[in-house]
Amino acid sequence: MTTDNTLPELDPVIHAQARLRVVAALNVLGDGDEMAFNALRKLLGMTAGNLSVHLTKLEDADYVRINKTHRGRTPVTFVALTTRGRLAFEDYTKAIRTLLDNAGGAT
Amino acid sequence: MVDDERTPSPEEMLRVIEEQSVATTRWLRGDPLFLYAPWGVAWMLGFTALFLHYGLDGRSYAPISQMQAVGVLMAGQLVAGAFVAYGIVRMNKTTRGDSNARGAMFGYAWFAGFALMVVICSRMSPLLPPQESGLLWAGSSLMLVATLYMAGGALFHNWTFFFFGVWVAAVNTLGVLLGAGWHALLTAVLLGGGYIVAGVLVRRRS
Repeated sequence: MTTDNTLPELDPVIHAQARLRVVAALNVLGDGDEMAFNALRKLLGMTAGNLSVHLTKLEDADYVRINKTHRGRTPVTFVALTTRGRLAFEDYTKAIRTLLDNAGGAT
Repeated sequence: MVDDERTPSPEEMLRVIEEQSVATTRWLRGDPLFLYAPWGVAWMLGFTALFLHYGLDGRSYAPISQMQAVGVLMAGQLVAGAFVAYGIVRMNKTTRGDSNARGAMFGYAWFAGFALMVVICSRMSPLLPPQESGLLWAGSSLMLVATLYMAGGALFHNWTFFFFGVWVAAVNTLGVLLGAGWHALLTAVLLGGGYIVAGVLVRRRS
């Protein structure tokens, strides 16, 4: 992706701790799997409002897919990483590692 | 509230990624101790009771009837099954998708397997002496457990799960060859005790 001499650019959508945590958590799920909004909120320890704002930014970048549905009469929202989001997370992780390598801080 | 106020360092971001990935995996899988240890306890108590009933030389070591011993085993397995049911309910509340569909089909395979086993064993066991009949039930149920654990390993790409199946298959084979008393003893110690130890080890490692 980058040579040793050029520093990689970090994706600004993911380069914010809260959104990085959202993407890192969703990346653990398998390709065809989605996580319930409430479960994700509990896992990350965020408020519903805060998580919504971050998810909207990620959705605008086409990194997550948000699916609103019903379970019986209860509305449930499911969230999944898109292929684009998964690739962006992989690229971001690689870029961070390259930065650390260049700083001489990694093995 | 939305963005972090300062730009975090690459080290911090890498740590965030690693910590969040580990925390999520652990959270989704639940506590491995509760996946394995309840079965270990059920088998340890149930098969110890069966062992005391059969003895190694055909004489009982304690005044326990075969039905009482089977009752202890069944009660333990019901408790262990309740832990599995709780895990399934929790998983279905948390996620949906291909993994849940795979899990549901896997669950039906267990149910179908045991239903069929009950039909076969109920038909065959009246034709056998009590010890051999008990061995038929225990041996065939552990055969099912062994093969489904191995299939589960393949399904979820989980080597720990797969090797648990291999372990059950090996102990079961040896036990069936040696007879009802030995089968009960080996199952109580190596599978009952083994599952408790394995649950603790897997929990420490995760």
